[in-house]
Amino acid sequence: MYGSLDISVSGMIAQRVRHETAAANIAGKDAYLDSSGVNPYRARRALFAVGDPSAKTVAGRQLGVHVAEIQIDQNAVRWKYDPSNPHAEKSGPRMGHILVPDINDVVEKTNSMEAQRAYEANIVAAEATKSMMAQALRLLA
Amino acid sequence: MTDPLGLIGSASRVGPVGPGAAPMAQPAADPNTPAFKDLLLKNLEEANKLQQDATAAVEDLQTGKRTDLEGVLLATAKADTAFKMIQAVRNQVVRAYEEIQQMRV
Repeated sequence: MYGSLDISVSGMIAQRVRHETAAANIAGKDAYLDSSGVNPYRARRALFAVGDPSAKTVAGRQLGVHVAEIQIDQNAVRWKYDPSNPHAEKSGPRMGHILVPDINDVVEKTNSMEAQRAYEANIVAAEATKSMMAQALRLLA
Repeated sequence: MTDPLGLIGSASRVGPVGPGAAPMAQPAADPNTPAFKDLLLKNLEEANKLQQDATAAVEDLQTGKRTDLEGVLLATAKADTAFKMIQAVRNQVVRAYEEIQQMRV
């Protein structure tokens, strides 16, 4: 009876994590330093998998969804020309360039909106489940 | 007609009225069917457990032990529905009792 609620909640949690990755990507898009020097932030991607092992019902475990992995995209970096930057390359073919994260604002914003809408859709599905239960109760009461 | 509680079988002599009404089939009493009382107590225990889960989840959220709001909402929604269901069954039983009480003998 609570299966569809479990499924909707697992979807909500997964979409929240996905939204977190989009927020992290937007926040980190200009971060190119860490404690050891130039090491740009790498974009994060949440990868979903079918089934929610933490669900209490069978339906939730089989038909839910969970975040299998948060992938770190090591290739999402690009060279940016910034000769006045103290961390720019001093010599070589990349002189005056600095390695920065290759993150597209528009793509990340779209991902964020998509996650928001999907979260909302899961809430609507959960509300529908609750209203079905309430209607069943109305029959009994 | 299914009779999970075994309540209808004993009163089945009150068949459909009217000319040409077919006599009702006597459903065999199944000894393996759990009693209504056991079912009620089992579900009551389950509802109680869900209530405790929900209370613990809300406490954990407020004290910062967990941060998944969705899980807490799920626990409270489950507890709420289970309680309403038990309440509806209880109301129905009480209503039936009152109806019998008001019966003229």
